[in-house]
Amino acid sequence: MTSVTSPLAGVASAAPAGGTPRKPGGLRKRDRVAGLLAVLPAFLIVVGFMAFPVGFALFISFTKTNGRTFEFRGFDNYVGMLTDPVVHQVFLNNLKFLISVPLVIFVALIVSVLLFERVRGWRFFRIIFFLPNVLSVAVIGIMFRNAFGYDGGVNQLLRLMGQEPILFFTNASYSIAIIILALVWAGFGYQALLLLAGLTAIAPSVYEAAALDGAGWWQRLWFITLPNIRRVLGFVFIINVLYTFTSLFGFVYVMTAGGPGYDTTTIDYLVYLRAFSSSNLGSGAALAVILFLFIGILTLIQNRVFRLQEED
Amino acid sequence: MSDVISSRLSGRRSQWPIFIALVLVAATIIYPLYFVLITSLRPNPDYLADPFGLPGTWSLENYVKLIQVYGVDRAFLNSLMVCSVAVVVVLVLASIAGYALAKLPVPGAKIVTGTFVSVMLLPAPVLIIPIYLVLARLELVGNYGGLILVYVATGLPFATFFLTITFRAIPDEVLEAARIDGAGFFRTMWSIVRPMGASGIATLAVLQFLGVWNELIFGIILIPDQSLRLLTPTLAGIGSRFVTDQPLVSAGLFVTASIPLLLLALASRYIMSGLQAGVSR
Repeated sequence: MTSVTSPLAGVASAAPAGGTPRKPGGLRKRDRVAGLLAVLPAFLIVVGFMAFPVGFALFISFTKTNGRTFEFRGFDNYVGMLTDPVVHQVFLNNLKFLISVPLVIFVALIVSVLLFERVRGWRFFRIIFFLPNVLSVAVIGIMFRNAFGYDGGVNQLLRLMGQEPILFFTNASYSIAIIILALVWAGFGYQALLLLAGLTAIAPSVYEAAALDGAGWWQRLWFITLPNIRRVLGFVFIINVLYTFTSLFGFVYVMTAGGPGYDTTTIDYLVYLRAFSSSNLGSGAALAVILFLFIGILTLIQNRVFRLQEED
Repeated sequence: MSDVISSRLSGRRSQWPIFIALVLVAATIIYPLYFVLITSLRPNPDYLADPFGLPGTWSLENYVKLIQVYGVDRAFLNSLMVCSVAVVVVLVLASIAGYALAKLPVPGAKIVTGTFVSVMLLPAPVLIIPIYLVLARLELVGNYGGLILVYVATGLPFATFFLTITFRAIPDEVLEAARIDGAGFFRTMWSIVRPMGASGIATLAVLQFLGVWNELIFGIILIPDQSLRLLTPTLAGIGSRFVTDQPLVSAGLFVTASIPLLLLALASRYIMSGLQAGVSR
């Protein structure tokens, strides 16, 4: 067993463990009342402002509404969505952003293997690499938009080299590439640390044995290191996929506002656009419900995959 | 120290190339931030004349402009206030609930943990429409109360889960001893659970504060009035309007990043230990 427990695996195993301590009989009833009262405030807030809204979104998605009057329309919003060319394009955009997944994992893997060598100062490097993770996506997004802006660092560099400045954000491919670059910059450090935890869990004796057998650096990397962290790699892969479907809003909002056209609009950004700039909230809610189902399925697959791997 | 002893993949001789590679990767993170900081401390013409050199004139005019024209000081203070209130409320409610789930026989504990776990990874875009409508009905759109309520609700599932795990490590014997001494629920929470779970609570406090400080989407939709917006949404607004004034936007970036960077510098121990515990949103 590796000592790295993924957050989600931890969640799954924590669920059935609630409150079964041994207690002398007389006080038990009072404890039950105290326990119930203690859990109630948090439970009510979460149900009221997270669980109930999901159900409410489902209801809205079957109506035509401006937020005040609800007119039941069955599956109209869903049918409308499936035949909407904008939705098709936006879904394809999300698929394009998936290019970031192998890129960020590749960089994270390299960095984690470098950190694993425990060279002088590795703890300090660890904090540096974690740094983008404490910054808001708004900060990171604007930083990249600035850097690639007309007067930004990249264009200034082009000018110094005698080139014409490029209007990066008027071009769909450049815009997507820059958002992907921002994603990699923002994500690789944290994921390198997750992978490092996986590497640390490999027994040192394995390496010593391999070294005695005369295995070189690359052989050890390929035949020992990578197979031993495939579980963590799988976990990192899934969180990245989830991330590209649910968390691009911030980047898109500050960097491109979805443009040019709808070329960088993602599903989560489209939910926002539909919610606050169209007369029918129902269609936005339908999109949100589809996104929710999609995320749910991915999470279930992830749980299934990790359970299978824990068994072998 | 153990830093040098355990080189797993390679021998000691090959450490220099690895060190240099790490320095290069670190530079890709540090240099952009350095560039932002330096750019924010110079007037725009000075930046355009020599963007990569040190400023010809150092000046705080960008920061002054942010305060006088865009009210960033007010947004900064409002952000601090909203974050502090939201984090304190989350910590109090999650501590109480987490302690009960860890140590008391809570009826329906499975339902509670099941609910929390299933909404923990809910992405914000799914919630924006219904939450906006619910809060509009309660007349909580446009004021900080509604925003704080949403931050508390979205923070509680992870916080409760995290503290349940933390408090489970407190030995039952200690709690039993307190009970025999006649300590009630809140007395036990304050004098035993709080100090014994202090490092977990501190970790959670830092993570939650960062989460609320950096939040964007609810901060935009629930506070439609630009002049009331918190810092991160204000920055997003400034950033998208002033494409041509790089130093001004850089100053805004630095102000917004300052608190997270300060927290990382002061509490990196807590942040790094919380890191394994979860991808919070």
